[in-house]
Amino acid sequence: MNPSEERRDPGLQPERTLLSWQRMLILLALVGLLYLRGPLEPGSTVVPEVAPLLRVGFMGFTLLLGAGLGLHLWLRWRRTSHGVRDPRTGQPPLSVASPWAMAVLCTGVMAMTVTVVATVLVP
Amino acid sequence: MSTEVPEGEQAVDYRFTLANERTFLAWIRTALALLAGAVAVLHLLPLAWDETLRTVVGLLLAVLAAIVTVYAPVRWYRVQKVMRRGGNLRMSVLPLITTFAVGLVCLVVLLGNLL
Repeated sequence: MNPSEERRDPGLQPERTLLSWQRMLILLALVGLLYLRGPLEPGSTVVPEVAPLLRVGFMGFTLLLGAGLGLHLWLRWRRTSHGVRDPRTGQPPLSVASPWAMAVLCTGVMAMTVTVVATVLVP
Repeated sequence: MSTEVPEGEQAVDYRFTLANERTFLAWIRTALALLAGAVAVLHLLPLAWDETLRTVVGLLLAVLAAIVTVYAPVRWYRVQKVMRRGGNLRMSVLPLITTFAVGLVCLVVLLGNLL
């Protein structure tokens, strides 16, 4: 990549990627909120209700996961001077979040999915 | 780009790796949206369905979310490897499967409300 190209794209790609992460975090909290909520019709016995404690736990889990990832992103964003320069290489960073953060995210989403399935299959 | 490139591997443009990361996130968001749909069908909407149909539709969405969650990091890793070593990326059929499954669920919900 030549220097003139670098100046034409001042950190737009990292910023887009960070926004992508933010959209994901918002959606994570939304799924938690959705699970926390009971049936849309109060007192309705049509749909199965999950124990309130489990619902609160699920919500807490999504918030914790989101907060942890958000903190990681924020620290990395600051360290790489807003995604423009990786202090170790002096080049733009190759990723906004580290691969282990992606692994944590996948594991978390998997755990949520398993919980949703389990609470339906095991009344 | 990084000056320390392992033997037999090419230097990767950061814009491509970031694009790969965004693709991974798009897949994860798809999984989360499917999971939200599963929660809505299973626990929220009092659709006047028999229990079996509701459970089947909800579980189908949840299982699809699980598949996407496993696929996303695998795909990310493969793309990273291809970018470092060169080679061709094959498109998978998962986007098609996801689209058809979501379409099918929409159809079932629509019919379930009409019938």
